[in-house]
Amino acid sequence: MANTYISVEDVYFQHPVRGGESTPALNGISLQIEEGEYVAIVGANGSGKTTLARHFNALLIPNRGRVLIHGKDTRDPQNHPLIRADVGMVFQSPEDQIVAAVLEEDIAFGPENLGLPPAEIRARVEAALTTTGLLEHRQRPPHLLSAGQMQRAALAGVLAMHPRCVIMDETTAMLDPGGRAMVKQLIHRLHQEGLTVVVITHFMREAVEADRVVALKDGRVAFDGPPRDIFTHPADLYSLNLDLPLAARLAETLRPVFPDLPAGILTPDALFKALPDYTGSQIADIPPRVHKKRRDCPEAIRVESLEHVYLSDTPLAHTALSGATMCAAEGSSHGLIGSTGSGKSTLLQHLNGLLIPQHGRVTVGPFDLNDASTDLKAVRRYAGLVFQNPEFQLFEQYVGDEIAYAPRLMGKDNLRETVRAAMTTVGLDFEAYKDRLTFSLSGGERRKVAVASILAMDPAILLLDEPTASLDPRSRRDVLTHMQGLHASGKTLVISSHHMEDIAELAEYVTALANGRDQLNGSAASVFHAVDRINALGLEAPLVSQAAAVLRSRDWPLPDDILRPAELAENLARLVEGSHA
Amino acid sequence: MHNFEFLRMVNIGQYLPLRSVLHRLDPRARIIIYFMIIAAATFTRHALGLAIALTVILLGLWLGRIPFRFALRGLIPPLPFLLILAVLQVFLAPHPADAAALYALGPAKIYLAGLISAGMLLLRFTVLILGLGLASYTLSTSEMIHGLESLFTPLANLGIPTHDLVMVMQVTIRFIPFLAQAAERIAKAQASRGADWGTRKGGLLARTRQVIPLMLPLFLTSLRRAETMALAMDARGYATVARRTSMMVMHFALKDALAILLGIAAGAAILLLG
Repeated sequence: MANTYISVEDVYFQHPVRGGESTPALNGISLQIEEGEYVAIVGANGSGKTTLARHFNALLIPNRGRVLIHGKDTRDPQNHPLIRADVGMVFQSPEDQIVAAVLEEDIAFGPENLGLPPAEIRARVEAALTTTGLLEHRQRPPHLLSAGQMQRAALAGVLAMHPRCVIMDETTAMLDPGGRAMVKQLIHRLHQEGLTVVVITHFMREAVEADRVVALKDGRVAFDGPPRDIFTHPADLYSLNLDLPLAARLAETLRPVFPDLPAGILTPDALFKALPDYTGSQIADIPPRVHKKRRDCPEAIRVESLEHVYLSDTPLAHTALSGATMCAAEGSSHGLIGSTGSGKSTLLQHLNGLLIPQHGRVTVGPFDLNDASTDLKAVRRYAGLVFQNPEFQLFEQYVGDEIAYAPRLMGKDNLRETVRAAMTTVGLDFEAYKDRLTFSLSGGERRKVAVASILAMDPAILLLDEPTASLDPRSRRDVLTHMQGLHASGKTLVISSHHMEDIAELAEYVTALANGRDQLNGSAASVFHAVDRINALGLEAPLVSQAAAVLRSRDWPLPDDILRPAELAENLARLVEGSHA
Repeated sequence: MHNFEFLRMVNIGQYLPLRSVLHRLDPRARIIIYFMIIAAATFTRHALGLAIALTVILLGLWLGRIPFRFALRGLIPPLPFLLILAVLQVFLAPHPADAAALYALGPAKIYLAGLISAGMLLLRFTVLILGLGLASYTLSTSEMIHGLESLFTPLANLGIPTHDLVMVMQVTIRFIPFLAQAAERIAKAQASRGADWGTRKGGLLARTRQVIPLMLPLFLTSLRRAETMALAMDARGYATVARRTSMMVMHFALKDALAILLGIAAGAAILLLG
């Protein structure tokens, strides 16, 4: 018989805010999670997911109602040690979780708190490092790791405690595809071993993997049931700011062409299996691909053999770039892909003059960064950079001041209008948000403020470092749409992302980095067409490219520049019609 | 040109995972030795003592395979403050009533005693900064915690909360690189939106003025960070059991005893010679 492991009973919780009105984060929520269950919690940014998760290991105590963990009430402080030893929590922002100054000592922190013998601690630390692929970094200071590595470190710290229940708060938000696959396998293993697993995620493809999905809205449970049920009612889904998993969405796009596709396809594997063989006789009447040599267009960005070493000539020196080359035409949109630590962020910081080339050349618009007399302030205004982590970008107290910072320094007179326009572009209501405290915003709202603060400078080039990380599906789509709009209005975009779907939607050209060098350079269609090479770099081609590859292997004579679902459907429709004719 | 590498400048609190003779000593031995030398350098009244202390510390850096340039860089950030203190010392240090002024600058007079005490101050701070640096490069936080805990066992038996005291120390040390990193991030964020950071121009005054808008955000971030760190420690089971254990096993060997004896000898020389 299953035991209830987590029991949330009519819980209300309100974050204390000084002198401000605050909306309750949890609004009478009730929920039971059985021992050994695998539950995904989904919901819009600000719907109370993280607040709820923090009740599961007694970091937050309900204002009203109660939370029982394995029968122990979190309101009783005497229960806290036991609860925290049993319930391991991976924080949303991994940096917040790190306590020690050397990686392996940080991972040992939890087991040491449990009072385990040294040999046992060492064995556990070793195992956790191996599982998360961090063994070679064991002696490095955690604060110098890349965002993705830090997320793995946070996970390792929890694993080493051998908890009975693991809560992962958007653990995959900053991970590359390889890291996401690692987490997926790990969750699977923990679940097999009988642990209770609670995953908070914005990725529907991750929610699909769970036994059960709980969707939150305004601090209440809006849906609770198996994944299949929630994804069969798309209308309800959209009202929760959620979306169908990609595979399901692609299946719907292809259904007019392939009416025989079974209903309820949720995972890529299910989709690929269901794709039919080609029975027509048409053999590639595709015009042979013209490999256009890229013309010498007016270039907005040119980077040649760029190298960068952080903390050079110290014992902590770390090479981030070792000969990266790329260029982007004016008005184009350019994607940067690569696993964590491959040098994407470092490259982006060169493009707005925050970093100056140590070796190699960088030209941005009319500015030559190798020239010591270049006005770096002008470069930064010309190419606006939205940082990877909005936490690091926001430094003012109020949203309005934050966005007004740059235009104020530039001496713009219609400040209010500039700020309003920038906020509208990212979908923030001016009146509602201008006086909000930046620190009290949810992760997704902060991301929008960060983007708006750069848009307010009206840069010619927009550099975006992981612009959709930690956004809910609807906000993600909004942000992508805004980016497309900005691009259409003539801005040059450079976007780095771990989400190839984002890149496929936004970018015309793509540069793939690995170990600080460019590995693939070319049009998005040609780079993603090389599905195997993308996989070899530890990345994952967009689902559409993968599906096209599967179809080609089943003899469908598809052209090789398919990037978007609609293009795939169109091409298939043509072939199907052709075979009937 | 190294923009925005504040971390490069702040190297106290930074452990360097090297494998030197020094790194291989029992952490308790290292703690005792560093304590002796730093305490002796703090209290000695003789220039010769300070010179010995400097030599001992440079020797320690060499033994610990710490690059000298890296260690010396730690002197740069506090330098302006030290110079101001030294100048004050020149004028304010007590001098014998019958001493003749070397140089008179209006009502302010410079005496030999003032110059000497200013020089001593500079030397003493150099020694202390390098000494603390040496300690932090060669002692990882957990070595320090567990070493201190072990050394404080007698106090703990008297009911003094040594555990928490030691943890407070560790967190403080962990915070130093964090502050540098946070300052770097805020400066980058401000620079990317048009502030004057890292633009290769501006005199000392302009640079000082830039620091002001950095302070408030840095202060707020640090407070928030302190809060999340406390939360993280709770979440990771801090204070679950009465007695934390350690991943490391400490072995006190003959070489450690010898090293401590050498440390005591050095401390005595610093205090008494001269």
